[in-house]
Amino acid sequence: MTDPQAAVVARDLRRTFTTRQGMFRQTHKTVEAVKGVSFEIAPGELFGLLGPNGAGKTTTIKMLITLLLPTSGSASVLGRDVVEDVREVRRRIGYVFGGDRGLYERLSGLDNLRYFSELYGVSPREQKQRIGELLELVGLTGREEEKVEGYSRGMRQRLHIARGLLHDPDVFFLDEPSIGIDPVGARELRATVAGLREQGKTVLLTTHYMFEADELCDRIAVIREGEIVAEGTPADLKGLVSAGRVLEVETYGVADAEVASVREVPGVRSAIVEERGQVQVLVVSVEPGAEVTQQVLARLGDTRVGRLSHREPTLEDAYVELVTGADA
Amino acid sequence: MTSLRIFFIGGLMSFRALFNWMNPWIFVPTILLGPITQILLFAYVGRAAGVGDDEFFIIGNALNYAAIPGMFAMTFTIGGERFAQTLGLVLVSPARRIPLFMGRALPVILTGWGTAMFGIVSGVWALDADIPWGSFPLVGLVVAVGAFATAGIGLVMGAINLVWRDGATLGNVVFLVLLVFTGTNVALEDLPGWMAPIGRCLPLTHAIEATRMVADGAAWGQVSGLVGTEMLIGAVYVVLGLAALRWLEQMSRTHATLDRV
Repeated sequence: MTDPQAAVVARDLRRTFTTRQGMFRQTHKTVEAVKGVSFEIAPGELFGLLGPNGAGKTTTIKMLITLLLPTSGSASVLGRDVVEDVREVRRRIGYVFGGDRGLYERLSGLDNLRYFSELYGVSPREQKQRIGELLELVGLTGREEEKVEGYSRGMRQRLHIARGLLHDPDVFFLDEPSIGIDPVGARELRATVAGLREQGKTVLLTTHYMFEADELCDRIAVIREGEIVAEGTPADLKGLVSAGRVLEVETYGVADAEVASVREVPGVRSAIVEERGQVQVLVVSVEPGAEVTQQVLARLGDTRVGRLSHREPTLEDAYVELVTGADA
Repeated sequence: MTSLRIFFIGGLMSFRALFNWMNPWIFVPTILLGPITQILLFAYVGRAAGVGDDEFFIIGNALNYAAIPGMFAMTFTIGGERFAQTLGLVLVSPARRIPLFMGRALPVILTGWGTAMFGIVSGVWALDADIPWGSFPLVGLVVAVGAFATAGIGLVMGAINLVWRDGATLGNVVFLVLLVFTGTNVALEDLPGWMAPIGRCLPLTHAIEATRMVADGAAWGQVSGLVGTEMLIGAVYVVLGLAALRWLEQMSRTHATLDRV
């Protein structure tokens, strides 16, 4: 049942891409990037769409911001259909994507903001005050006259956020805003995003950083291969795996076949290999009460094994289990 | 008011944003020396072959060179945005597309006009040609209409760039088509019969003819028909360009063509 007050509604959204290859003998390849995604975001809510690269996060956002038409399904922002009422949707949303592109390099930060103010119809009287406030908000006051080409990645990202807020949008879409930013810059960015929620903005944030979603989001939907596989508060998602344990085994050169074999051990929910610097760690999620250590070691065969440890599951384990669920 | 601001202020800012990467010490000589060398080449070929006169080649080639900014700069207003990945942000804004894209045409038309006028003045000076200074105000007006028409064809090419990212390469061919078909160096009546009708549908043909007549002393009344036709042809290309932009923008939403940078 759709909440008529919801700020963002997606109903069974699907998006298929067809690519062609070859000049004379063309071959067509069809990829279903989003396979029936549905969710709602309440006004003032900070909603996270979490998933690995290629899961369909950006495609979903592009449909919601009117850059892509859904193949089927429907979506609305503030009650306006994203296919039928394009201009009104565009007027009321802000959009920021990650990475250091998408700005006019040879213009100053200030001129970038001025240009987009014009595109969004911010009146000349309001522009100066609004730009000043936003520069203050994103911590770029005093740097606005410099050309963007000299900005660090973090500064660019903060300028992007200021750009997206110029017209004071009601709903703000942030597509992996912290990608490639150093830890200090990412922390500042998270503080800025948290500030948006305090201002009452509705925010849809996509990320594949679990801690970011955990820290910021009221609710999270985990998307895998174009489908939402879990939705709830960060606490709800943690609850999915909190009733188990995690076994970590340091390994040296474990083969894929051995990892696959470990996954078949009764009581093992998932098993993945993580590279942690020089060390390879087999992370095994175990069901409550199951004792699998000996069986896991047996399945590793001749693989050299180092330290073993057990720990409580984290939100990241929940995420890993959800996004690798099908093959783990 | 918003659309007017997008047209004038937005157009100028986007022109600065997209062309600020060009070093003026390279850009200005390129845009100014280009027409002079082309004028000299064809004027000396004409002299050697004993055909045409210097004024004929000066006017033809100076106006032909207005197509360089007209086509390439207009194409780049879209292609450049695509490479900088700003196009998606511009298209997701609610700004009306006509002032948005036509505003970008204004500095392009001014650049094309300046290039052609500089070519004419330099050609007259270098070749000691005979174009009365009194005719220059009217020459300037006709050249402006020609520059507008080339920006129209540039708008069409810019729209093509929304789908094919190497659309700008087409400009090289279109420039040569204009060179051959518009009477730049060979009068339309001297071209094979099938070429003249094509030339009459292209930008610059009527502007070149009108400018030559003005340089020979014709009054506004004698060239107004040609100038009006040039204006109409330019307007048709602008409408085609805007329609193509609208259609291709819709197509990019359907086929995600903008995602391929």
